[in-house]
Amino acid sequence: MREIYLSGYNNFVLPFVIGMLFCLTWCIIGAARIILQLPGKDRKRFFLSLVNPKTMSKNIRDWFCDCLFHVKLWKRNKLLGYMHSSIAFGWFMLIVIGHIEVFLYTPERVHQIWYPIFFRYFVAVTDTTMKGSFFFFLMDFFLLIVLSGIVLAIIKRAHSRLFGMRRTTQPSLPDLIGLYSLWSIFPLRLLAEGFTADISGGSFLTKSLNMVLHSFLSDYMNMLPTWWAYSIALGIFMCVLPFSRYMHIPAEILLIPLRNAGISISSARRGMASIQVYSCPSCGVCIDACPMGAVKANTKDSTVYLNRQLKRNNKARIDEISEKCLLCGKCTAVCPVGVEGDKIRIAQRAAKKYNLTPDYSNIGTDAVNFQYNKKVIQKNNNVSSSDNKKVLYFAGCMTALTPVIMKSMVSLLEKAGAEYDVMDRDGGICCGRPMMMAGRIGPARQMIEKNTRIIKESGAGILLLSCPICYRIFKENYKLEGIEILHHTQYIERMINEGRLDIDRSDSRLVYHDPCELGRGCGVYQSPRNVVSRAGVLVEASKNGKESICCGGSIGSISLGFDKRRPLTENALASLTADSPDIIVTACPLCRSTFSRYADRPVNDIAEIVDKATSADKR
Amino acid sequence: MKEIVVIIGGGIAGLEAASKLLDLGYSPIIVEKSGRLGGHVARWNRLFPDMTPAADIVSELTERTKGANIFLNTEISFINRLRDSYNIKLSNGISINTSYILFTTGFSLFEAEKKEEYGYGVYDQVITNGDLEQWFNTGEDHRISGKEIGHIGFVHCVGSRDEKARNSQCSKVCCITAIKQAIELKEKFPDAEIWCFYMDLRLFGKKFEDFYTKAQRDYGIHFIRGRVSEVSENIEGKVIVKAEDTLAGKPIKITLDLLVLMSGMVCSQDSTKTAGMLSLPVDSDGFLKSSDNVMHITSSPKNGIFYAGACTGPKTVPETLAEARSAVLEIHSHISRK
Repeated sequence: MREIYLSGYNNFVLPFVIGMLFCLTWCIIGAARIILQLPGKDRKRFFLSLVNPKTMSKNIRDWFCDCLFHVKLWKRNKLLGYMHSSIAFGWFMLIVIGHIEVFLYTPERVHQIWYPIFFRYFVAVTDTTMKGSFFFFLMDFFLLIVLSGIVLAIIKRAHSRLFGMRRTTQPSLPDLIGLYSLWSIFPLRLLAEGFTADISGGSFLTKSLNMVLHSFLSDYMNMLPTWWAYSIALGIFMCVLPFSRYMHIPAEILLIPLRNAGISISSARRGMASIQVYSCPSCGVCIDACPMGAVKANTKDSTVYLNRQLKRNNKARIDEISEKCLLCGKCTAVCPVGVEGDKIRIAQRAAKKYNLTPDYSNIGTDAVNFQYNKKVIQKNNNVSSSDNKKVLYFAGCMTALTPVIMKSMVSLLEKAGAEYDVMDRDGGICCGRPMMMAGRIGPARQMIEKNTRIIKESGAGILLLSCPICYRIFKENYKLEGIEILHHTQYIERMINEGRLDIDRSDSRLVYHDPCELGRGCGVYQSPRNVVSRAGVLVEASKNGKESICCGGSIGSISLGFDKRRPLTENALASLTADSPDIIVTACPLCRSTFSRYADRPVNDIAEIVDKATSADKR
Repeated sequence: MKEIVVIIGGGIAGLEAASKLLDLGYSPIIVEKSGRLGGHVARWNRLFPDMTPAADIVSELTERTKGANIFLNTEISFINRLRDSYNIKLSNGISINTSYILFTTGFSLFEAEKKEEYGYGVYDQVITNGDLEQWFNTGEDHRISGKEIGHIGFVHCVGSRDEKARNSQCSKVCCITAIKQAIELKEKFPDAEIWCFYMDLRLFGKKFEDFYTKAQRDYGIHFIRGRVSEVSENIEGKVIVKAEDTLAGKPIKITLDLLVLMSGMVCSQDSTKTAGMLSLPVDSDGFLKSSDNVMHITSSPKNGIFYAGACTGPKTVPETLAEARSAVLEIHSHISRK
């Protein structure tokens, strides 16, 4: 390879250089700001994680898998996965190989940032550099890969349904500018390199294009305008990047190590929340995932639009979207970059000032009377139990409103001969999760403290919960060392496995609905299915597990009216009844009452199903 | 030839209409899905405001409809609309050709188990207004008989005026029914303390207010304004009711031996099903839609089809009977005009 121009410079590189420098400065300042915004404890944790080989290797793996290969998208949809990874990985390889070429052939030019990008313009192929044909081939190959991705992207914009997406995001103006400049970068690069391929060398793509071009455009004067165009497209893209959805490309690079360092959202608009907002690629996967999407008017309340409003600092809309959300967590579960839509919203709610702050400090913890419950335990003491841990059953307020669940659960505990105690038979203190969801962290903490005191004094070994809303906060925010926290689905599974319940399997077809807080919230998917399949024939909903649709009754939403929830419930029911089950089984009192309001078939809690299938006292 | 009028539903509206049609010289045919006549009233014990035995009313009406054709245990299989008449196929195989159909399909009691927090079907101490009337009639109900009943509660508006129960309308008769039943229970259990939990007391009818005063003054029944939030059971087999006393402005908790839920009126599914065969519209409250809710409450938008009684909304017994007569008059003038 030899250089054609001694200066190694031409004016056409300017748009690119300006764009690149602008973009780099912006990103570096942004990254520094975000790291500075982190609370001191988190910042220290972040820096420590960068020198920890384990997290660092995870970072590297995640950078490749998430930023370049888009593994999560592949798992969701192959076509969408190919589209994104072809552009990301192809472009990455073009940059890498470009730099390798500069290192190999013109090492003295390494410090000129435009050189690897416009390498083909500045060099000519020589006889001795035929081994470069390997790189020529690679460059053309990856350019082809990127171009195929671009073609798919253009098709997707017109027919998103082909890519399995019912609805996509409406792009903003900077998004559109970024989009069109991105689309034009690679065809222009092909054209520019095509013009120079006979001088600088090329492979199957650029060489062939060169032949075609020269058949009717033999003038080398045409060369420069195409390089200018290529550089301008790059420059526009770089300049518009910080204001468009393409900000996700640099932002994700920072988000991954922050996440792997275990840092969570602690402030509404700063630090972790901010980097998550900028990492949103506006892909719109969350639009179809959102249970509120059953009503078209709610489309703009999905996480992608929340992120956009957060970038614009549109306070009214931020509050509206944050308060409307059911907090089912499905957008978080499906998000390919890991934006936590539910947690961002809770942080916004927490930032809102209220004139009235409830104070629960005067609720006494000794008001809960265990006297009566102890009698029950003594009654059960003579029953031999394989499990000698005392079970403290906290039914929770939602279960108090669906007493059939509590009755079935107590009956099962009796049948299994468990040594148990009901913590809130005569009323109890709220677990705190509703306040937590509303962003009122202070009052929630008060309740957590009080319940912790009661539970620790009870001497229980297992804390048993019927309501997934309670279960989640007990798992996440309570510090109950030495006490096992179990949802009743898990405890029933254990009782069955230990042979303490004599269960008769029926032929009825049971569909299991994953409650948001139990499934996506706490990752309990298998235990309830094991239990249900012991009681009957388990069938699955069309959307289940991680993709399960919220029942619509969630206490997560502060502003969604009762009548607005009905279509959401009906949509979830349609998914549940896809395989025509006889009974809908769930493990959440709130889902149970919401579904039974509109369902055309019985809706039961898992405890009811098991209790009905279990014969009284096996011993 | 005597004009045939098909009456769907053999409750009091259907019986009263049949008897009046007979008086006018027409030939009514009653189609009743159950095995007996009288509908909900036949299952009731005594009626407000004068404690008239319900059985007397049903037997009088039945007596007066002797000349009518009555098909019991029969449902409508389908209805075909012909040019200006209807062809009705019954489940017993008979088909009838008529120009006039009168819907007296009535209502259903709201299924109290849907209000899960009240524990109907879960706790043995919780019954509905319908169960209580049944017990007045038969004296048999394991939930009441043979128990010591010292404390009784009534919950008003169960499945009425309640968006979450999918019925935002008032069922009209439950307030006075609760007062009547409370008085009757007090007569059966003179030592019992009785509480009624209400939102509003809607006592609009003749002598209803007297009933209310009597209940407080002579029977010592407590009226608490506030909704019941939840019902739980204690170890002695009693139910604990939590509610808010909105007049005193404080939460209350009462332990009871018996809790009576005042189930409201909702349109029966069979009504809507049969109405669907003729594509008759359903109003926003879930009941059948009259062509006008002021002037033409007994007329449907379809020619030759009429309504009477609770199929168009909650009604008291006298209102139902009056409406049956008015529907008959409407049919009569229709036939006479021909």
